[in-house]
This record gives sequence, structure tokens and C-alpha cells, in this order.
Amino acid sequence: MKELIVSDLVTDYGHVRALDGISFVASSGEITTVIGANGAGKSTLLRTISGLEKAKSGTISWGDIEITNLAPEEIVRSGIAHVPEGHAVIPTFSVLENIEMGALFRRRKNSSDVKAAISEVLDLFPRLAERVKQSAGSLSGGERQMLAISRALVSRPKLLLLDEPSLGLAPLVVEQIIQTINHLCRSTGLTVLLVEQNANTALAVADHGVLLALGKVASDQSAAAMRADSALRSAYLGY
Amino acid sequence: MNTFISTLITGTATGAIYALAALGLVIVWRGAGVVNFAQMGQAMFTTYIASNLIASGNSYWLAFVVALISGSLLGMAIDLLIMRPLAHKKSSSSTKTLAATIPVIASLGILAILQALAGVFWAGEERGFPTPVNSFYFKNGTGTLPFSAFNLFVIGVVLTVLLSLSYFFTQTGVGLGMRAAALNPEVARLSGIKVSRMRTLSWAISGAAGSLAGLLITPSTNLSPNSLDLILIVAFTAAVVGGLDSPLGAVIGGLILGIGISLVTTYGSPENVFLAILFLLLAVQLIRPNGILGGKQVRRG
Amino acid sequence: MVSVDKIWRKSLLKTLTLGLVLFLLSFIFDAYNQGQLALVLMLFIGVLSLTVLTGSSGQISLGQGALMAVGGYSSASVITHLGASIWTGFLVAVFVASVFGLVLGVAAARLSGPYLAGTTLVIALALPSMANRFESVLGGDVGLMIDFGMPPTWISNLIEVGYEQWQLWVSIPIALISLFFVSNLLTSRAGRSWKAVRDDEIGAAVNGIPVARTKVIVFVVSSAVAGLGGALYGLRGLVGPSVYPVSLSLTLLTAAILGGVGSISGAFIGTVIVVFLPDLVSWAISGLAVSEQVTNYLPALLTGVLLLATIILNPAGVMGTRHRSKH
Repeated sequence: MKELIVSDLVTDYGHVRALDGISFVASSGEITTVIGANGAGKSTLLRTISGLEKAKSGTISWGDIEITNLAPEEIVRSGIAHVPEGHAVIPTFSVLENIEMGALFRRRKNSSDVKAAISEVLDLFPRLAERVKQSAGSLSGGERQMLAISRALVSRPKLLLLDEPSLGLAPLVVEQIIQTINHLCRSTGLTVLLVEQNANTALAVADHGVLLALGKVASDQSAAAMRADSALRSAYLGY
Repeated sequence: MNTFISTLITGTATGAIYALAALGLVIVWRGAGVVNFAQMGQAMFTTYIASNLIASGNSYWLAFVVALISGSLLGMAIDLLIMRPLAHKKSSSSTKTLAATIPVIASLGILAILQALAGVFWAGEERGFPTPVNSFYFKNGTGTLPFSAFNLFVIGVVLTVLLSLSYFFTQTGVGLGMRAAALNPEVARLSGIKVSRMRTLSWAISGAAGSLAGLLITPSTNLSPNSLDLILIVAFTAAVVGGLDSPLGAVIGGLILGIGISLVTTYGSPENVFLAILFLLLAVQLIRPNGILGGKQVRRG
Repeated sequence: MVSVDKIWRKSLLKTLTLGLVLFLLSFIFDAYNQGQLALVLMLFIGVLSLTVLTGSSGQISLGQGALMAVGGYSSASVITHLGASIWTGFLVAVFVASVFGLVLGVAAARLSGPYLAGTTLVIALALPSMANRFESVLGGDVGLMIDFGMPPTWISNLIEVGYEQWQLWVSIPIALISLFFVSNLLTSRAGRSWKAVRDDEIGAAVNGIPVARTKVIVFVVSSAVAGLGGALYGLRGLVGPSVYPVSLSLTLLTAAILGGVGSISGAFIGTVIVVFLPDLVSWAISGLAVSEQVTNYLPALLTGVLLLATIILNPAGVMGTRHRSKH
């Protein structure tokens, strides 16, 4: 079983140092959540792991391979799928096309497996299954987020990077999405790295928590310990 | 009446060619964010290649195929040798205006080089270019019909190409990947699509489409290093009229321009054609900046 | 404010020095090269008009030659039909071209990047056909014949002046006035606010710069300069559609880019390259047995290669000073 090991990662965002020596491990089959205030570097962390941003120094390894600064299209082939912030779907594409897009790179090698993968994600989100022909632009915010996650899952990743899935969604929808992810992790052994600003929601399902503050790791412990740590909660999480 | 019908048919045939050229521009604009002012220069170059093959005794069809292949290779070469390195460089130091302007200037440089090379290799004098089928109006017992076999050939070829392209972009995986790469490169890359490869592919397809337009229009314009400059202007206008982002718009724009120019030439005077084009171009941009079929999103560049 | 005054005086000094050098060259060069140097100055004004436009708005125009044509035609019309002097012709050219620039600018302020490039290219193609629409005034396909005339007697009594030398003598002050005007404009407050619009439209708007109006003003100024250059250019003998072809616009753009758009000395160097390259090439290959076909197209080929190489090797330099001063 693979785990994600990030060590001494430094990334600049423009002229600003966004990540200033980050180290942590996301264990296999667990949900690790990265929490912290706005601008703490959470999104940059995911973007560096998936190859969208270049790391200045440090390493990221995934199982026994090092993926630091590989191109995103290579990294997704190693079994890491990234759902970026903001319901990233292509609005003029149909729901089905958005999902198919995520499996394009596997289509030639194994087209029957791709078909199976598509019907699996549609089983996961029945509301999308009813709307496969509809354009993604006509979906509600929650449905778009489900679609973005489906686009990532259809590549059959071993590690899912989720960036703020709760952003702008109603609590009930957030709960539904988080529970789906939780279920996937427990039943298939999917490793999840979940970035959330809403620490409560994230810590409720996570096994492990990493707290970022100004580009550094401020705390790295089990989610249960974080939930219990009242000093940390009042200092960083504000509740 | 016969004049009117023949004007319409000729206009449709040339309009189909403009549509093809406009489509070439749209494909590269969508796929790579560049309005390629060198496109018809590339087409001129490959038409010269075809012309030389025919002159040395080869069949029209061999020349036709070779021209299309060299058109797509030339497009790929331009992307790999010039546009891709430029895109890497400019990302480090650029304003938004600059990012859209530099490739335009580069494409003008490529145009100048291709025209000069054609001059050096094949002299500056005009030559004719053959048609594969008869380009005289059909004889019908006593009178003539108001169109030629070549008119029909052009319309047929362009229609076939348009239908195949539409199938390719909507029904195949590579087509889906190209559209995704054009619309949202980041999500496309996260989906494992090799965006830079898709860009090169759009240059190749556009190069072939431009070459085909060159082969079909040259019998009526003759061939010289500058002979296709005007086609670029018309194609650009057609693409803008249709909305630079819309392939279907480009086709409609091409037909509007083809029939319109045909009517102006027959019933007005030929020298008014450019003023009419300019008027149309300005009117569309001021009244409907996204073109008749362009999306509602803010224009790029 | 002291520093602005200093800059002003420094640029006046530079301009006068350049004028003196050019004036001396008019005695050293032979007639042919006097003509070539005059041509450099005429095109230099056209390139300056692009420097104003591109350097301070980031937009490129492929139709600057058409604005030169507007200047040329309006000056030639008053000279031919009203018997005006060439100096009046220059003033009329500047005025008419500015009005044209205003109309064009209002339309162009809404266009950007490739849209503006394509539209100005169409303008460059379409404008010469106006000459046929108003044949009685503008002379149709042939055009209007005008020239520099002869130097006034108080000069010719003093010294013998050749025709090409007189061309150069008229061109020098016109070019220097344009140069002085443009270089001061770009460093003035107005020029700096234009660049602010170029670099960041939204930021400029937040800082209270009227973006749309600024874009139109840039167009008007650029057109006025181009019109002046076009009037001078037309004095070489003929104002007609063949004198202001699309390739003229492209030549101006090439010269501007070779030297680095936005840089005034670059504009001058670029123009010198564009004008003298053909001579240089034919001199370089004169000993070789090269067919006429190659000789004819070699300069164009080299210019294209130079243009492309400039962009690829130094894309930031294409936009001139701001980026250069940063590094």
C-alpha cells in the first residue's frame, strides 16, 4: 500500500512564499485533512502535489516513486487525481463528456474498464446519472461539485486530492459529498487528502489532521487529538 | 435570373472555401489562443508544392494529398519550433495584452518568411493552377447551366471535410481532449490530457484545412507569393462575424462573406468589396463583439 | 519638477545633436544615400507613431501605413488643388490624420489584441480603394503627383543644393519635431498614465485614469504622427495607392519590433536596418553568382528572420523599456 510523503516542500506563488518547508505523511487508506486559515497555503500544497505549481525545493514521493515537479498529466497517470477548488467542470460539456474526459488517457488501453468506471461513479452519484446528457452549466452547485469529483474518480485513483469541496454549498449537500468520500475511503482503500477551511466538517471524518499556518505546519496529529485540543482550536480554528 | 442563380452558386462555392479557411483560424484560436496571420501563407506554400508536383508530371490527386500532408506538417512545425518556445518564454514576463500580441507578430514574421522563401524558390511570377474537374459552366443542349462541375466539387469536398471535422470533435476521444484542452487547460491537464500535444494537433488540422482552402481557391486567384493574402482577410472577417470561438459560426460567416462578395462584385463594383468587408467587420465588432454565434463569455486577448 | 525640466532639456540637446549629425551626413553622403537617409527619416516618423501606440498601449496596428496614406493624400490634395505650400500640407496632414485617428480610436478602443490587429490590416487594404471612390480629388489608381520642390532662393544663392539633399533637409526638421514631441510625451505624466493602462487596465481605472478615453487619445496622437510621416513620405513624387501598400504597414511594424517597441532609439535603429538591409544584402552577394530571383527576395527573407528571431530571443524587449529596466 502506498503512502504520500511530503518533505521540506517549498513553493513560491508569484513572489510570495506560499509553502515554507512543509513535511507530513498521508497514510494509505486514510483521510488526511489539511486545515488552516485563508492564505495558509492549503490550495498551493495540493497544486504542488498534482504538478500544477512547481516546487522550489523539497520532495514529494508517492509509494516508491518521486513525483516532485512531474507534469500534471504524468502525475494523474501514477494514480493521483486532483479536484481543484471551485467546482472545476467544463460548463459547455455534457455531464457525460465531463466524466469521460477524466478517463481519456486510459481509454485506448482498456475501454471496457473505462465503461465500468463510468458506471461506477454514476452509481455513486445518482443525481448525475439522471442528467448525463445535460450540459454541466445547467447543474446546481452541489451537482457540479459531484461532477468534478466524478471526473477525478473515473481515472480510478489511489490518492484523491480534494480542494474545499464544501465551498459555497448548502450544509446538507456538503454532508452528502463528505459521506460519499468517507464511504469510498473505507470500502475501497482510497487515500484522501482533503483540504478544508471548515475544520469541523473535515475533522469529523478524517483520521489525521495537518494544520497549516502561513505556509508552515503548525500541528500534525490524529484528527481525534485535534478535535480534543482546545488550545489549538481557539488559537487557529476559532471555535 | 440566370445571372442571379450563378452568382449565388459561385458565391456558395467560394464561401465554402472561405468557411474552410475561417475554420482553420478558429481551430488554432480555440486550441492555442493565437490568431494565425500566417495561415494562408502556409497554404500558398503548400499550393506551390502541389503546383510543382503537377508541373513535373504527377497527377493532380497525388499533388492534392501531398499538399494536405505538408500543410499539416508545416502547421506542426510552426507550433513546435516557434509558438511553443514563445509560450514558455512569455509566461515569465507578460501583461495580458502582450500575451495576445506577441504570437500575432510572430505569425506575421512567419508569413513574411514563407512569402520570401516562395519567391526565392519559385520566382515571383504568377502561375495558374489546375482544377481536377471542368470549371466551365455545364452545357445543356442549347444553353448553359449557371454552374460548373468544379463548383459542385468544391461544395462537396468542403461539406465532407466539415462533417468529418464535426464528427471528430464531438464523437471521438481525441476530439473531446482537444476541446477540453482549449476550454480549460488546467482541468484538462489534471484529467491526464497532454495539452501541448493537443495544441500541436490543432495547428496540424488547421494547417491542412488552410492548405485545402488554398488548393481550391488558387484556380481562380492564380498563384504568387502574395496571392492568398486577401483570402486571409476574408477568412478573418468571416471568423469574427461568426464569433472567433465558434466553428459553426466560422462556416456561416464564410458563406455570408462568399455570397455577399459575389453579389457586390456582380451588382455593385469590385472595388467596393474591401470597403464592404471593412464595414461588416467594424459593424459586427461594435454591435455584436462575440459574433453571431460566439459565446457570452468575455473575449480572450 | 526639477527632474522633469532636466529631462526636457536633455532630450532637446539629444535631438539637436542628432539633427547636427544628420545635417553633416547630408554633405558626406552621395545623392543616392542622401535619398536613403531621407527615406529613413520618413519611415522613422511612421515607426514613432507605432512606438506611441504599441509602447504606451500594448496594442499593435497593422494599418499604420493607411494612416500615413491619410496624411499623404490630405497634404497632396491641398498642395495640388489649392496650391498650398508643403509646410501647409504638413499641418493639414496632421489635422486630418488626427480626425481619422479619433474616429478609428473610438472604434478601436473596444477592440483588443488580435481583433485590433486584423481590423487594422483590413483598413490598410480597404483605404486605398477610397482613392477610386473620390477619383476627381484623390486621383484614382494613379494618384497625385507632388514633390519637395526646389529650395528657396535665399538658400540656393548661398549654396548649391542637390534634389536628394533638399529632400533630406526638409525631412530632418520634420523628423526632429516628431522625435522631440514623442520622446517628451512618453516621459510626461500623460505618457506614464498611458503605460499604466497598458500594464493593468483595472488597476489604472481604480487609480482614476479614464481607460477608454486614454486609449482613444493614444490613437489620435499616434495617427497625427503617422499622418505627418505620410505627408513627408508622399513628397517623394507620388501619392497613390501603390505608395502606401499593406507591406508599408508591415515594414513599419518590423522596424518597430527590431529595435524594441517603446524605445525611441530602437525605433531609429530598426528603421535604419529596414532601409539599408537591401543595399547591404546586394553589396554582400554582389560577387556571388546568384540569380536575380534570389536577390529580389533575400532582403525580405532576412527581415522576416530578424523579426522572428527578435521575438523569440527577447519577447520582453518587444515591449521595450519597462521590462528592460526591471532586469
